[in-house]
Amino acid sequence: MEGISILNGKYAVSMDMYPLQDKNYNMVYKFYDNLKEGRFTTTKCTDCGARSFPPRIICPECLSENMEWVDLPSEGTVLVVAEQEAGVPLGFQAPLIHAHVDLGGELTYLGRVQNCKAGELKEGDKVKLVVIPIEPVPADGKKGAVIQHERVFFAFEKVK
Amino acid sequence: MDRNVCIIGGGMSHWGIRQASARDMFQEAGKACFNDIPGLSNKDVDGLIVASAFTERSCFQTHLAPLVAEYLGIKPKNICARVELLCASGSSGIILAYGLIKSGIADVVMITGGEKLFTPQKWEVFYSELGTGDHDWDGSQGLGLPPPFFSMVAQRHMKLYGTTEEQLAMVSVKNRRNGLNNPKGQYQKAITLEEALNARHVVAPLKLFDCCPVTDGAAAVILACEEKAKEYTDKPLVYIKGVGQATVNNMSANMPSMTTWEALKIAGNQAYSKAGVKPSDIDVAQTHDCFTISEIIESEDLGFCEKGEGGLFVQEGRSDYGGDVAINTDGGLLSCGHPFGGTGIRQGIEIMKQLRGDAARQVEGARTGLTHNLSGLSAAHTVLVYGRDI
Ligand SMILES: [Zn+2]
Repeated sequence: MEGISILNGKYAVSMDMYPLQDKNYNMVYKFYDNLKEGRFTTTKCTDCGARSFPPRIICPECLSENMEWVDLPSEGTVLVVAEQEAGVPLGFQAPLIHAHVDLGGELTYLGRVQNCKAGELKEGDKVKLVVIPIEPVPADGKKGAVIQHERVFFAFEKVK
Repeated sequence: MDRNVCIIGGGMSHWGIRQASARDMFQEAGKACFNDIPGLSNKDVDGLIVASAFTERSCFQTHLAPLVAEYLGIKPKNICARVELLCASGSSGIILAYGLIKSGIADVVMITGGEKLFTPQKWEVFYSELGTGDHDWDGSQGLGLPPPFFSMVAQRHMKLYGTTEEQLAMVSVKNRRNGLNNPKGQYQKAITLEEALNARHVVAPLKLFDCCPVTDGAAAVILACEEKAKEYTDKPLVYIKGVGQATVNNMSANMPSMTTWEALKIAGNQAYSKAGVKPSDIDVAQTHDCFTISEIIESEDLGFCEKGEGGLFVQEGRSDYGGDVAINTDGGLLSCGHPFGGTGIRQGIEIMKQLRGDAARQVEGARTGLTHNLSGLSAAHTVLVYGRDI
């Protein structure tokens, strides 16, 4: 029988909820390399000084290509919380908790808060960035070989 | 060449959980639209714009416009393309067709939009939503489904301005009641304030009736230059008077404010100034009530009331029939449902009917109308002003 079972053991990149992080697939791979070392970073323009997030290869203010990597605060304050119990997208566990986080006045961000029960997180609570392992991407190598690109991503946890 | 542009007809398929494919519903919508303009044949259409956001994800179908042209017997010669701006795809298509006709590139253009969102396994649509924000940065946080974001918006608005859960519920009660005016919408069932307040939470404080549903469906309209419009229809002419479409941020980290939608204010001001009207001139509006809180903020940032008074605006009946401006007179997204590419077109149909004077429930003497879509996590806003007077 022919059909969709041909996808067994294969990987559809259009169904991946995480970015392709390897340097074969993007030009800001240093963000993920830094993240693997526990650093939360982004790019800053060395010409006009504008700090962007997410990281860029070109400054959106002055269009310069001269960018440096800078560290961002990895602790923040919760501004508001949303708790989703039902209809959580595949790949995430319920309750799915999001917070609008103020990272030291430098950046606000809608982040996922893990290891947190419903009702546990409140406005004004402190959260910290945590680095989490992500399933690798199986990529086609030469002569049928499969290369596994290791990946990480980040979420937040409540500071207790 | 700078010509006046009219919306001369429109129609929609039934919206809801449909036992139909996307191409089935595009045929139904196209047929309903042609039925609204007896003097016009499908062979008179010289351009086609198709609005659909999830076509590749839920139908595995790209290059959609030639497919729809073939099914509707249209042989476009000036434009035949698809446009995508998620929830604002349909109104984006109308803006593009307006520009093409105004400038003389096309004369008679159909814009049809719709989605098939219910697939055999229901998880798929929710999963696909992870691609609607910035996939690599917000999607990876599990963001993209609208309820968590709009829950935060509601909480902030309640804290800043004292908006209440009752006021949110009043939006859904009004729009569900107005939904009785549209027999092709997803729901034809009014609800009470008590039912709305006692419904289960989706993401607190948003409850079931505060959120628009997932919907299959399609809608279509035809725009024409004034000269052709007079040739094809003897109904009162409705003009597109002004348009605006704006974005100031996409990713959540760059959002200037959760409760004041800067891009909406910009898009609204552009549309008002091009149309030469003020917010107080609008008699009837279809605004993007994906959530009850959205309509409240929209009534503020479109200038129908003061900032922070959106809750009071609905409570005092100022957004209902007989108020300052009747909002979502055919039930809006909350009652009609929301097949992304179809919504802006459904809104255009209702405004056209209100201004022609043949709406199911008429805003008496309406001469100027407005449609608004937000798209993504409030990342882009689209506003059109329609009128009987040019
Ligand atoms: Zn710069």
